[in-house]
Amino acid sequence: MLTFLRRRVLTSLLPLLAVVLGVFVLARLTGNPTALYLPENATAQAREQFSAANGFDKPIWSQLLDYLSGVVRLDFGTSLRTGESAAVMALRAFPATLQLAAVTMLLACLVGTAVGCWAALRPNGLADRVSSLLSMTAASVPDFWLAILGIWVFAIMLGVLPTSGVDAGGLSWVLPIAVLMLRPAGVLTQVVRGAMISALGSPYVKVARSKGAGERRVVARHALKNAAPPALTVAGDLAVGLINGAVVVESIFGWPGIGKLLIDAILQRDFAVLQAAVAITAISIFVLNIAIDIGYALLDARVRQKVGAAA
Amino acid sequence: MTLSPHGLRARNARAAALVAAAAAMSLAATGCSVANSDAGDPAGGGNTLRVVLPQEPPTLEPCEASLTATGVVVRSNITEPLLERNPTTGTLEPRLATEWTQTQPTLWTFKLRSGVKFSDGSDFTSEDAVAAIERSANNTKLACNVQGYVFGESGKLTLAAPDASTVTVQTGQPDPLLPLRVSFVEMTKSDTSTTEKVREPVGTGPYKIETWAAGQKLTLTSWDGYWGDKPAYAKAEYQWREEGTVRAAMVVNGEADLATNLGADDGAGDTGVQYPNNETTALRFTTDQAPLNDIRVRQAIDMSIDRDGIVKSLFGGIGRPASQLIGPGVVGYNESLTPTAYDLAGAKALVDQARADGVKVDTPFRIIGRTAQFPKIAESIELIQSALTQIGLTAKIEMMDTSAQMKYQLRPFPDDAGPVALMIMHGNQAGDAAFTVGQYFATDGAQSSSGTPQLDQQIKAAGTQTGDARKQAYAGVFASENKDVRGFAFLANMGAVLGLAENVSYAPDAATGDELRLADVKPKS
Repeated sequence: MLTFLRRRVLTSLLPLLAVVLGVFVLARLTGNPTALYLPENATAQAREQFSAANGFDKPIWSQLLDYLSGVVRLDFGTSLRTGESAAVMALRAFPATLQLAAVTMLLACLVGTAVGCWAALRPNGLADRVSSLLSMTAASVPDFWLAILGIWVFAIMLGVLPTSGVDAGGLSWVLPIAVLMLRPAGVLTQVVRGAMISALGSPYVKVARSKGAGERRVVARHALKNAAPPALTVAGDLAVGLINGAVVVESIFGWPGIGKLLIDAILQRDFAVLQAAVAITAISIFVLNIAIDIGYALLDARVRQKVGAAA
Repeated sequence: MTLSPHGLRARNARAAALVAAAAAMSLAATGCSVANSDAGDPAGGGNTLRVVLPQEPPTLEPCEASLTATGVVVRSNITEPLLERNPTTGTLEPRLATEWTQTQPTLWTFKLRSGVKFSDGSDFTSEDAVAAIERSANNTKLACNVQGYVFGESGKLTLAAPDASTVTVQTGQPDPLLPLRVSFVEMTKSDTSTTEKVREPVGTGPYKIETWAAGQKLTLTSWDGYWGDKPAYAKAEYQWREEGTVRAAMVVNGEADLATNLGADDGAGDTGVQYPNNETTALRFTTDQAPLNDIRVRQAIDMSIDRDGIVKSLFGGIGRPASQLIGPGVVGYNESLTPTAYDLAGAKALVDQARADGVKVDTPFRIIGRTAQFPKIAESIELIQSALTQIGLTAKIEMMDTSAQMKYQLRPFPDDAGPVALMIMHGNQAGDAAFTVGQYFATDGAQSSSGTPQLDQQIKAAGTQTGDARKQAYAGVFASENKDVRGFAFLANMGAVLGLAENVSYAPDAATGDELRLADVKPKS
């Protein structure tokens, strides 16, 4: 397993480097941000001074070398907008997003698994149709609309939840998580349902039933375990999407995470913050992918054997 | 290993318990508190004013106070200027200076208020004032926003502090607007860095910074040594939410006392208070390429805009149709100009006339807008585009983010831009037309894409006038631009909505969006 892990980490380094380089190049393609940071009628001399002070007047390869040498020292530079260290800003914001994504994903997995299994027990029955309708709706509703609707219903009309912010303890989590988890929960419900229907019709399930195993054991021990790998793959993708896609929810609910930081950095052409935020997000996604691979190996004996053989 | 049915149930139960425990632990591990937040100090006590803004201030650097996001927090709350312009009357009023006189044609003398201290306890002296003006107006390396906006045309200032309570400012040319320009400079301590901007300044204002939890909230607290009246609220807590509907909901729901920059349909309900702001929206034309190089085409576009319809249906009645690039409160506003009447038939006739004279009116041009620059901008542009189609012109819409749009707003414009009608929004915070016409109407103006030598002369002559002659001269500039150049189709003098909780008393004015004076906010008795 250690050999597998080492190999997985090494193969992840190349795409990580591609992301680090890609964000640098793509950011520079948007042009020199001087106009955004200087007064509208700043003189040409002032603009040149600003460009020189921030290294924008150098050839792109020279800027790239400066950037890479900084990355090696974990120095992503200083935010043009706030004057703070870009790495500090990104590291300060990232845990809030991670918290939100982790709790959301855990709850989405629980809901998706429970409802998916329930629906799969009687395919095309009432429960299956209702859960399919609800899960497909949940997977399709735009976050923005749902967030505003949630605020209107639960904060304004019913007055049971805060509109936004993080001051209200546990209540602050309810709306952001509810909005964020609906789509993954809906998708997972569909995936688990499909995988479970397939698993429940498999010969080994028939054998288990013929040997007198109870329905709960059949579902939990036999079918669900075999249906889990595809669900885990999809859950991994959804988790990555949550880390990347928390922008809307963070913006609306005032959640102090990295999604909001990232979008502000893009709009303000704050290259240092953009690069730091993308690098941290990319690293976390690679870690997550490795964790998914390990989970896959633990769940699926065939994969485990392959891993063992490769090691 | 074999398991009895009882053992299986027990194992399943344990598994379920483990999952439940994992979920509970996830939440418990967070302690229901969010990383990057200061969860232990929710405001809402009677003596804390809770303000929600559209965005977090990027910095509280006082020399960047002409940036809205910074100025709305820092100006007159944390730091103060020597004098300030009354947004309603337009007159300059004393703040840290008690009097100012033009002692020579190029020399202004300011007498400072005595007994003023910075919030760290040190005295405010003329040396501090000199250093602050020097830092904001003359320090090109620091490149403060106020330098370009306010002091761009005034050249280098020569400053002196003859005694502890007197400041003199020498200008290269006689400058009747010098006190107005100085009113944009927030006073800082003389030892404030001249090479780097400061995020958290020390000022003389009624509040000082208590905590700034970046990304989440900013708390100001009043301090005992303030020279003026103690503000009604001991603390002010700023939060920021990008969505207007959320800001409005926070006031309606009792989570905030005051919300700025709301739109008509953000849902503020009874808590919403309308007020005119300094902003004017307009289409700015490039005048060097067909079809926009013909004044009849530009006039036709102007006539095809249904300003009343846009203001009523899209802006919810907030604002009013505009006849010029400034609002009524600004020196130089021309009262005799009226918004161009909506006349599609007349506009089409002008286009046909231009076509008959060989103007390439069928050449497509772009209408460029900045996403979210003002509420309903996209819909406004779509309405205009639809009208242009009816009069025989072909316009394509391009919405851009700020950075991309700025390339078309500021000189030098892109070489291959082609004919462009750019949606702009201009705010004249200074209250004098000089801060508008030089930038937008002069042929070499930083944001100008039109103009004539005659208009340049008129602008230059107006800048030398004072008093009523100045008002009339600038009013003449606006009339000439409309009649002879028509480089713009003005849309609306904009307005805004402030969300105000029932228990709070505050009267917004034209400057509220740029400068929210906390000391003017009081609890209702």
